[in-house]
Amino acid sequence: MLLRYVNLWFSLAKFSLLGELAFRGNFLIKIFVELLWLGILLLFNYTIFQQTTSIADWNAQQYFFFIGCYFAMGGLIEMLFLDNCNQFADLVRSGDLDFFLLRPIDEQFLVSCKHVDWSCAPNILLGAVIMSLALWQIGWTFDTIQVGIFLVLFASGAALAYGFLLILMSASVWLMRNQSLFEMWWLFTTLMRYPSEIFKGPWAQPTGWFFFFVIPIMLVTNVPARVMVRPLLEPWLACYAIAAAIVVVAASRYIFRAALQHYRSASS
Amino acid sequence: MMKYLKILHISLTERLAYRADFFLTTFFRFLPLVTTFLLWEAIYAGAPKADDGAETTIVGFTRDKMIAYLLLVQISRMFSSMPGLATGIAHDIRDGNLKKYLLQPIDMLWYLLSYRGAHKIAYIATTALPYGILFFLFRDVFDLPGPWTWLAYFLSLILAFLIGFFFEACIGIAGFWLLEVTSFMYIVNIFTFFVSGQLFPLELLGEYPYLTAALEVLPFQYLAYFPAMVFLEKRQGTELIVGLLIEFAWAIGLLVFCRWLYHVGLRHYSAYGG
Repeated sequence: MLLRYVNLWFSLAKFSLLGELAFRGNFLIKIFVELLWLGILLLFNYTIFQQTTSIADWNAQQYFFFIGCYFAMGGLIEMLFLDNCNQFADLVRSGDLDFFLLRPIDEQFLVSCKHVDWSCAPNILLGAVIMSLALWQIGWTFDTIQVGIFLVLFASGAALAYGFLLILMSASVWLMRNQSLFEMWWLFTTLMRYPSEIFKGPWAQPTGWFFFFVIPIMLVTNVPARVMVRPLLEPWLACYAIAAAIVVVAASRYIFRAALQHYRSASS
Repeated sequence: MMKYLKILHISLTERLAYRADFFLTTFFRFLPLVTTFLLWEAIYAGAPKADDGAETTIVGFTRDKMIAYLLLVQISRMFSSMPGLATGIAHDIRDGNLKKYLLQPIDMLWYLLSYRGAHKIAYIATTALPYGILFFLFRDVFDLPGPWTWLAYFLSLILAFLIGFFFEACIGIAGFWLLEVTSFMYIVNIFTFFVSGQLFPLELLGEYPYLTAALEVLPFQYLAYFPAMVFLEKRQGTELIVGLLIEFAWAIGLLVFCRWLYHVGLRHYSAYGG
């Protein structure tokens, strides 16, 4: 069963790549846009660290590792899911979702994994390069267990982000115009762009706590980044990040199915 | 004139039809602002302290002035950002829908200007409460300026709206010659986000003199940075008047260029599809 889905995903990924390569110019421009965004992100943070020695107790190297982790995570989500989820409301509105529901395959898989946006793949690589450079500057020595834990937490962070994206996508059926999801997601992911330690102060601390424990979007990049560059990672936090990913993915599936219940195939 | 006012009214009604979407997006739009404030709090907390115990400043901005600046660029962008304008024009050209403007006694650019004006009014009216609360919460970071500065600020915002509109319209009109402007718009948006001073005050780029010299003569700073600096009274006297005149010149220059480009583009237009 699982193998069937893996094979199907590889076929879809191959088909997506062929589609991208048919419009090479557009593909290259999309990669250029991502490079430009990364350049601005790095320039911004480099400029900031000319003025300060640390940001919320993260020194420059640690902070650049965090940025690399965020960029790789963002690239992974955009590559695998964002474009697909962005089209969901349009599928509902046009009635084209019928074609997905009639196929003998899980609807969630087909809706959220149909297309792979290969232009975002370099982001994962570039994120990894920034993380490696930051580790090199810190003087990090290779530790297999640490890397293993990082990869598990990175995967759980990706699962968590996927769950939230799916919930937002499903909610778009009731709440939003279909063009809003992309912007909503971008705004929502602001919360995973910075270390959670910046949430200091009488009103910021409860807000940070809320987005760490109740709607745990901040776990997505904070936990994997911490395990590599911060002196101490509490084991409970790693376990909590994994448990949160499982709960959010399960909840997102439930909400997605509830959204399908509301689908009336009106336009087909 | 009356027909463009009618368009303004209809667009306003249309904009408020999607209320849930509108309020949810507005709420979400505050998230980056909140995290940006917290980031700058953390930056100031980590910055080297002055020996004489004076308040920490970064490129001449105290922590309060920086927060005020970041709030004010939101107001600037509220006026100057034009989401979907360029791609909308380019799609109309590509799909042949531009015919609707040519067959009716209506000018596309003035129509779109009215339409955008309505969107801005609706947006400002509906976000007045949350922004009002936000500004009230941060009232201590502001020193309220005098009436002349208010007037100059208001003028700079109106001109920012015109510059933003005609700049994006020019890119959309390039659709007469280019098949697709979406990817180009992504590049422009990211570039504008940086060079308009939306991310941080342009003084922070001081160590790149060629870049700051280039930004001085380009229109991008008027989209976010300049109006904020006017309100903070960091542009005063001759510097303020010269700045407003240059902003006005850019608005007129872009209007003339946009109309000329549209005129030339129409000669290329074949009205396929639609």
